[in-house]
Amino acid sequence: MTLVLAVCVATLVTVSVYLMLSRELKSIAMGVFLLGHGANLAIIAMSGSPVSLVKGLRDAPILGGADLVDPLPQALILTAIVINFAVMGFLLTLLIVTARRTSTLNVDQLAKEDSPAVSPILERSRPERFYE
Amino acid sequence: MTDNLIGLLVIIPMITAVVSVALVRHPQPQRILGLVSFGSMLLLAIRWLIQIRNGDILVSQMGGWPAPFGITLVFDSLSGLLLCTGLVVAIGCYVHAFSVLGSDSERRYFHPLVQLLLVGVNQCFLTGDLFNMFVGFEIMLMASYGLVSLGGRRSQISQAYKYLILNLVASTAFVISAGFVYGMFGTLNLADLARIVDARVSSGQGLPPGFVAISVLLLFVFGAKGAFFPLWFWLPDTYHTCPTPVAALFSGLLTKVGVYGVARTFPLVFAAGDAGNVVTPLLLGSAAVTMLLGVLGAVSQSQVRRILAIHVLSQVGYMIFGLALMTTAGLAGALYYMVQHMIVKSSLFLCCGVMESHTGSDDLDKLGGLLRRDRFLGISFFIAAMSLVGLPPLSGFFGKLVLVREGWSEHWWLSAIALLTGVLTLVSMLKIWSMGFWSRPLESSQNQEHSLGSNNLGGAYTGIGFLVGAALFVGVAAEPIYGIALTAGEQLTDSTAYLKAVSPLSDISSALESGGSG
Repeated sequence: MTLVLAVCVATLVTVSVYLMLSRELKSIAMGVFLLGHGANLAIIAMSGSPVSLVKGLRDAPILGGADLVDPLPQALILTAIVINFAVMGFLLTLLIVTARRTSTLNVDQLAKEDSPAVSPILERSRPERFYE
Repeated sequence: MTDNLIGLLVIIPMITAVVSVALVRHPQPQRILGLVSFGSMLLLAIRWLIQIRNGDILVSQMGGWPAPFGITLVFDSLSGLLLCTGLVVAIGCYVHAFSVLGSDSERRYFHPLVQLLLVGVNQCFLTGDLFNMFVGFEIMLMASYGLVSLGGRRSQISQAYKYLILNLVASTAFVISAGFVYGMFGTLNLADLARIVDARVSSGQGLPPGFVAISVLLLFVFGAKGAFFPLWFWLPDTYHTCPTPVAALFSGLLTKVGVYGVARTFPLVFAAGDAGNVVTPLLLGSAAVTMLLGVLGAVSQSQVRRILAIHVLSQVGYMIFGLALMTTAGLAGALYYMVQHMIVKSSLFLCCGVMESHTGSDDLDKLGGLLRRDRFLGISFFIAAMSLVGLPPLSGFFGKLVLVREGWSEHWWLSAIALLTGVLTLVSMLKIWSMGFWSRPLESSQNQEHSLGSNNLGGAYTGIGFLVGAALFVGVAAEPIYGIALTAGEQLTDSTAYLKAVSPLSDISSALESGGSG
């Protein structure tokens, strides 16, 4: 099981690094999200039965001597997922704003361009309203 | 000592943020609310700081759960001093923003974002466990993402990505390392970690394999947030584009939280055993390069805001220098330096904001004769700049003195670099002073003279005056403040007081007997 998870984590991280190295902001954003998932899976992979503090719990009659899963890493991941979700929302919003204001999502062009470009999309969607 | 009220430092700004979202269309009540929030937090923090001046540590165990099982908040000398300074900086920048920030930007949730930033910063300073530090970082960063793109100008948006992506990657590394630390030791509470690591090292059992890797990973995380040498590239661009009060706030608070992370976790836990032999050279090398490259970058620039932004790096180098020594006086020097740097750097950024609103530019070639036009600004800038350089009666001197003297015996080359950096700092500050303030007014700027009074800059001057006053206070009151910093240094190098205050339990059965009702 650990091996499967390790392979999954490695794949996710590889793909995300590949995506983050591209020149398109969309791909970079997707790479960042995948990296977050990779991190969460890595924490799942390392969590096992509760580590140090369960001598009292394991004997509880309701468990009947069965194995325990450590709830704390799952709580960590839940928090991390929520935070990731919020950041994802912000990043996607920023992507939309960038696309509307500059009509490009390419890193090189963003760095180069100086004057605001006008695109058909920009005119139709009335960018001022976005912030109001 | 238990004092559950220290949680207020996180709760007050959170409530204020929620209320000001509701008031988002009415700037005036939001401003008053924000000032009340900052003011009350500052008073509380100062009160507690006075209470713990003898080296006590205030602890709050959330919900009454004993240490490794619940959430622990710790208010010791290190957190207390940084909390007070952070709040002073926040008040100065906040007041300054009233008159500099456009009403558009202000309506776009400036006030709630600043409050949320403080929620995150205060939580980072107060928390006693690694995962809550991560959560604090995230809250702070979410607010800062909003502030970086506040106003939404094109240049700002494209620079915001650099900041955003780097911080997202660093945060992911933080989650991974927090998870792995839990996997190794079964706890994330810093006091509990310190107890386990100490026991393992002293009993000769050794640390688990991979401990060094986790240490270095955490160093990467804090280094990215604090703009240490190989990871500093995002900082000059970001600070260059966002509104000046925001840049001032960031330079005062954000990078220092990264430095705080190193100061809090490394002497306590992550520099133990073999990890210390790996981390210390990394920190020393990074300190040297950060100091020197930062100041060289600043000397080569000709825009005031860029000079100041790149200078943040070289100052961070001094702090890493103090941390890398890992001695009581070294840590105390780094802490005192942080306190004075947060205040001085923010006030310089605020001065830069007023310069921009006077002349419409921060390019040194287009500035000139500002001293004649605005005496208050000139004097404030001079005091702040000389504090940064470290001339004797001002605050920067004492910080540098402690660091250089402490480093001299063991790493004399670093002390020499620190002194050289000081000289170059003087050069870059004199460049701004002589070209911007001292020189003859430019022909073209004279006809703008009448527009000077038309802007209402009352808030801006109040903010600058407040911060420069605070900087002078830090210099005059160097002895008591350094005393607190020295207590903090002792608590960091010798963790017994910290462990005793938090008193983590080693066994869950005793926790279940004495535990909370939750």
